[in-house]
Amino acid sequence: MGRIEHRFKAMGGPCCLRLDANDDVMAKRAIAAAVAEVVRLEKKYSRYLDDSLTSQINRAAGAGVPVPIDHETSALLSYANTVWEESQGLFDLTSGVLRLAWDFKSGRCPNQLEIDALLPLVGWDLVQREQGSVYLPRAGMELDFGGCVKEYAADSAAMQLRRSGVTSGLIDLAGDMAAFGTPQGNVSGTSGWPVGIRHPIEKDKAVAGVNLPEGGLASSGDYERCLHIDGKRYGHILHPHTGWPVQGLIAVSVLAAQCIVAGSSATIAMLKPADEALDWLDNLGLPWLAIDADLNCHGSLVASQQLSPG
Amino acid sequence: MASRQDDLNKTLVALTSSAFLLPAYQSAMADAPPEFTEIGTRYSKYKEDDISAKKAFGGRSERYDIDVAQFYLLAPVSDDWSVALDVSWEDMSGASPWFVGESIEADDAKVIMSGASIEDTRTEVSVTTRYYFDSGNAGFNYTYSDEDDYESKALSLDGSINSEDGLTTYSAAVSASDDDITPTQGAYPTNTLDATKDVRSAWLGVTQIVSKRALVRFGLSYTYRDGFLTDPYKYLDDRPDERKEWTVSAGYRYFLEEPNAALHVDYRYFDDDWGIASQTVDVAWVQTFKDTTVSPFIRYYSQDEADFFSNIDYEDTDYFSDDYRLSAFGAFSYGLRLSHEIGNWSINADAERYQTDESWGVYGGEESPGLVEFWRYGVGLNYAFK
Repeated sequence: MGRIEHRFKAMGGPCCLRLDANDDVMAKRAIAAAVAEVVRLEKKYSRYLDDSLTSQINRAAGAGVPVPIDHETSALLSYANTVWEESQGLFDLTSGVLRLAWDFKSGRCPNQLEIDALLPLVGWDLVQREQGSVYLPRAGMELDFGGCVKEYAADSAAMQLRRSGVTSGLIDLAGDMAAFGTPQGNVSGTSGWPVGIRHPIEKDKAVAGVNLPEGGLASSGDYERCLHIDGKRYGHILHPHTGWPVQGLIAVSVLAAQCIVAGSSATIAMLKPADEALDWLDNLGLPWLAIDADLNCHGSLVASQQLSPG
Repeated sequence: MASRQDDLNKTLVALTSSAFLLPAYQSAMADAPPEFTEIGTRYSKYKEDDISAKKAFGGRSERYDIDVAQFYLLAPVSDDWSVALDVSWEDMSGASPWFVGESIEADDAKVIMSGASIEDTRTEVSVTTRYYFDSGNAGFNYTYSDEDDYESKALSLDGSINSEDGLTTYSAAVSASDDDITPTQGAYPTNTLDATKDVRSAWLGVTQIVSKRALVRFGLSYTYRDGFLTDPYKYLDDRPDERKEWTVSAGYRYFLEEPNAALHVDYRYFDDDWGIASQTVDVAWVQTFKDTTVSPFIRYYSQDEADFFSNIDYEDTDYFSDDYRLSAFGAFSYGLRLSHEIGNWSINADAERYQTDESWGVYGGEESPGLVEFWRYGVGLNYAFK
């Protein structure tokens, strides 16, 4: 036995599990538990699924009745609150509703009136969180856990692998990764899983390679969905206060002890103006890599083990 | 700039500690039975130092030796049940202090030993069943112990419940035992021919995870003993037939990712209505290297004497004991525990040295000439059917 790789689709993207195991049965059990965990979180929090808890919360918006939530959801909301506070309101789980104005497939730029109509529905501070329940007070308000659940799922699936007895593994949920243990066959003296950070435009290429130690690597990018209108680029990262795309970095990757923290840090950086974001990342104390609109690379991971783009 | 840096590091601390409250980052959530059946065996030796000629009439004398062989089995029965069986055999031999007398030449107290007359074997069988549910577990234990002069039957129930956020665990236990004492008749008279003793105790505890790396725990216990509490073999021993004991304890665990170790610090305060109080401090460092765990530890113990403890029975009190175990003393024990895993096997070994002295204690009292010092060591082998 040795390296086992398992590919599957979840949370809207390609996912991959890699683990080292000496026991086939144990490995299969571990993979099943990890995949089940990702599927569980997707079913619970996806806004695309009618019977998800998120849809239930969103349907109840403005209806006057708080929706009961479990401990996990309440811990996620309180985590989201911390990120909201630490980002001075930039990271906002209620800002997803703005996508109603921004149809990135249509190639049409919305007018200010359309955006103004949606802005009253955005505001984390409006959300009523009580012990065991949550309520969105205005009809039409929406929670979107998309900004943290995929990263959380990576961490949680990694925990499932560990609980199943796996000593070393890597979870990759479409670029959000969680790793633990030292992979077999590593050159002596190196620890962590070797992973690549994708090039924002040329998808098959890596801009940097890094050995991911215990913890997570998350990336946030603005390169996949955007509009080009009259030579101006409109990315899909929307400022919760103005409703307009942020003119910031186009990709940020952060490495942290938990994938969810890496993800929130990358998202906060994407929401800030480019210069401010680079400063903020530089001071955060985590390894990072950012790519600006001119495709220049910044950050402590650039120098580490850059792979040739060709 | 420095303050800016501090602010941002605060951001990282805020995010990390908030994330830590999510279920995925807590290793101990739902309680579950062991995944595999495990069996183990262990041999240990307890050997008391000889008592010196200075402390005993009749010169240097051997003291107690105990050889212990153990076997255990732990098996999951279903998704929410497990059963455990422990069997142990002890072989005890040697001499113990019979009573303390006054030495004429030096005006000090010396021990009169029982002579190498004690020879006993003890067999103990203990069965535990445990039921696991989402937020905790509950156990039931029955233990039967039999030796030539002593028989004990004990029942206990325990349970623990985890709070919904998984950060707090509340535990409680109650136990009761009924013991029969039938001292072996030999060269010396015993204090009873047949007597009984009952023990009832209750325990409450709470464990709180305080951060990603640290947890604290507190415990409170009460024990009530009723019946023949006198040592049947100690010549002048005469103790009350009731004893009430209280214990409060606190523990702290700190885990370090680098160098993959844990620091354990525990404190215990004990008090009873015989006038005995004691304090224990335990410090252990648990260092893990890949498949090997090495844990050096040190324990300090200090005890106040019982109201009726005296080396020489010249006061006319209701009760009397010259048993060194009821005297005031201080003790250090220190040692090393090792364990190593090889596939489904794990081997472990430990050694402990216990040393005591009246002057090491924080409580003052009359020094007993019978204070004991000993070595304890053991080796064990476990196998998991993975």
